[in-house]
Amino acid sequence: MDLEFDEATLAFREQVREWLAANVPERPLASFNTARGFEQHRAWEAKLADAGYAAVAWPAAYGGRDASLLEWLVFEEEYYAAGAPARVNQNGIFMLAPTLFSHGTEEQRARILPEMARSDRVWAQAWSEPEAGSDIAALRSTATRTEGGWLLSGQKTWSSRAAFADSAFGLFRSEPDSERHKGLTYLMFDLDAEGVQVRPIAQLDGEYGFAEIFLDNVFVPDSDVIGEPNDGWRVAMTTANNERGLSLRSPGRFLASAERLVDLWCREGDPADTALGERVADAWIGARAYQLYTFNTVSRLAEGGELGPESSVNKLYWSHLDVALHETALDLLGPSAELTGESAPDAGRWSSGYLFSLAGPIYGGTDQIQRNIVAERLLGLPRESTASKNRGAT
Amino acid sequence: MPGTTDEQEELARTIRSVLEREPSPDRPTPQADPSRGYDAKLWSVLCEQVGVAALAVPERFDGVGAGVRELQVAAEELGKDLIPSPLLGSAALAARALLESGDEQACERLLPRLATGEALATLAWAGADGRWDPDEPACTARPDGEHHTLDGTAHYVLDGDLADILVVAAAHAGSVALFEVNPDQDAVTREHTPAMDQERRLATVSLHGARGIRLSGADGATALRRARDTACAVLAAEQAGAAARALETTVEYTKNRVQFGRPIGSFQALKHRMADMHVLVETARSASYAAGEAFDAGSADAEEAVLAATVHCSDALSTVASEMIQLHGGIAITWEHDAHRYFKRAHSSAQLFGQPHEHLERLLRV
Repeated sequence: MDLEFDEATLAFREQVREWLAANVPERPLASFNTARGFEQHRAWEAKLADAGYAAVAWPAAYGGRDASLLEWLVFEEEYYAAGAPARVNQNGIFMLAPTLFSHGTEEQRARILPEMARSDRVWAQAWSEPEAGSDIAALRSTATRTEGGWLLSGQKTWSSRAAFADSAFGLFRSEPDSERHKGLTYLMFDLDAEGVQVRPIAQLDGEYGFAEIFLDNVFVPDSDVIGEPNDGWRVAMTTANNERGLSLRSPGRFLASAERLVDLWCREGDPADTALGERVADAWIGARAYQLYTFNTVSRLAEGGELGPESSVNKLYWSHLDVALHETALDLLGPSAELTGESAPDAGRWSSGYLFSLAGPIYGGTDQIQRNIVAERLLGLPRESTASKNRGAT
Repeated sequence: MPGTTDEQEELARTIRSVLEREPSPDRPTPQADPSRGYDAKLWSVLCEQVGVAALAVPERFDGVGAGVRELQVAAEELGKDLIPSPLLGSAALAARALLESGDEQACERLLPRLATGEALATLAWAGADGRWDPDEPACTARPDGEHHTLDGTAHYVLDGDLADILVVAAAHAGSVALFEVNPDQDAVTREHTPAMDQERRLATVSLHGARGIRLSGADGATALRRARDTACAVLAAEQAGAAARALETTVEYTKNRVQFGRPIGSFQALKHRMADMHVLVETARSASYAAGEAFDAGSADAEEAVLAATVHCSDALSTVASEMIQLHGGIAITWEHDAHRYFKRAHSSAQLFGQPHEHLERLLRV
């Protein structure tokens, strides 16, 4: 692991910092889980794309700037430190795009990526189903062969951004009677296509952060299949690793929150409350440790390694760090952290961030799933027997 | 040994049957103005048929003459379903402050109305920093002829904008005293403050030269301490009730939710977490009962028992409610599921009447 930045990287950092300082909106945008905020964020993404910052690690031909992974991390650090808007198209940029790079066709990349970079098309994910949450391989939505493409039917749920997004991607059972991971196909579809119904779901903060999607014989052309038909599970694993791991939750986000927490402690903390002071320090150290772990991963990838099941370590770490960081902030604020609306401290950033952090250990594979991956695939521990015949065995 | 008498069991059963019979209060909606109080009809049924507001009011003031322990029984039952009610602010905190003021005339005038539920009372005490310090109330008072003039802004006042009877703790001539302040005078402004927990109504109460009547009798700071102990003991029971229901709901869900071909509750990783939750729920209940009993018995270690219950029950509900969310998974992140209500209640309750670390410091001093 090499932690020394070369001059080009330092110059890039400086350039990003200056651009953000000049362009990040002074007043926070409305939440992207509202119709108004969604369009504000779309406009912000177009601005980012015009400056070449929407997806720095992509090839320039698709709207990126060929940045290295290290430069991408630097960009993210600066982005969050500047308090720039949350990324409305993160499902597209950080989940679908890596899948297209690994498994898509050149035609798909040329068609989809540039408009994704500008957020002319915003993507929702459509993984989970009512009976397939942690157990994603239990999904039942179907893709049936038809002339020139597929007909999608079934129900998806917890689809992030689907309330306002344009398109979605997910897995469908394309081989009738197939079981589990077999016979699945990875498909993209438009949310305004005939036969699609979107029902927004209010999340625990009252906003429409996700939705149910009902599909009734929705036509999708062959050109919107990613990878080979019936090979969707393997294709999806690329996406899963990206959602859980490096891409979606860059350390910059937590470092920025940790710095804000330290500021809050300096402003409002009671120096005599050493127990709380230690938690503030712990949160900062945790964010720093996550940053170092990520640098390590990036070094490994730069040397030709793969992300693989190690992404579960990232997911477990950041999701707990995020909860602890917000809990500490709320304890620091005391009863005033309870308030919402005009009288809330820091415009309610900490309490809304806290509620959002609760979902971290759930989406993109729950803690339990991640721990199983770490235990079985990284530590090599035997798999738990799933059959009920072993129940009661000790 | 902390426990429940037959009469207390009967009280709990009666409250449960009212809650089963009466229509449930409306749940908060994400879009609606969160300025909801409590369900006035349900509260009046609870007052008329069960006498919940009268439980800890002595018989000479038309009350039931029971104790904190009985208020706890009511709080635990209401807490299970997170029923918004003025029990904590009016029947526990304000009623105790009035009683402890030792002002018999004021008690005769005010407590009977409070006991029937026809009037709501509240106690304005803490400042913006949210420290319910008996020696440092938010407001001040100065003599003005026969009466007193009060200034200052009290925060986190339970049902503060709804109450008919306003008791104000104020610094006065080098000590602390309690005052009865008519909330309808122009010099009083009351404003509901929206909070994450929409079902516990809080307000700020501002006094700009408001006229008040001093409640004569005992030392104000001592009365506040006793009132806080009462409220903390009752809140602890509410937390124990809420934690019990949160666990029950979680157990039910994990028994029925099938993933990987089996109920998720059969996975040891989840089962053990629920076993830990059960330990917390049971110990929380015992700690809250013990606090109520010690207070009612006037025992020397009552304050200690109350502090222990406050800290432990806050911790128990916070842990159980956040585990409830994690063990439910995605469904618990939705508004329509109850998990977020338990979680928000856990957080707001842990901050009410002082933060856990302040209670711990007091406990070390006791």
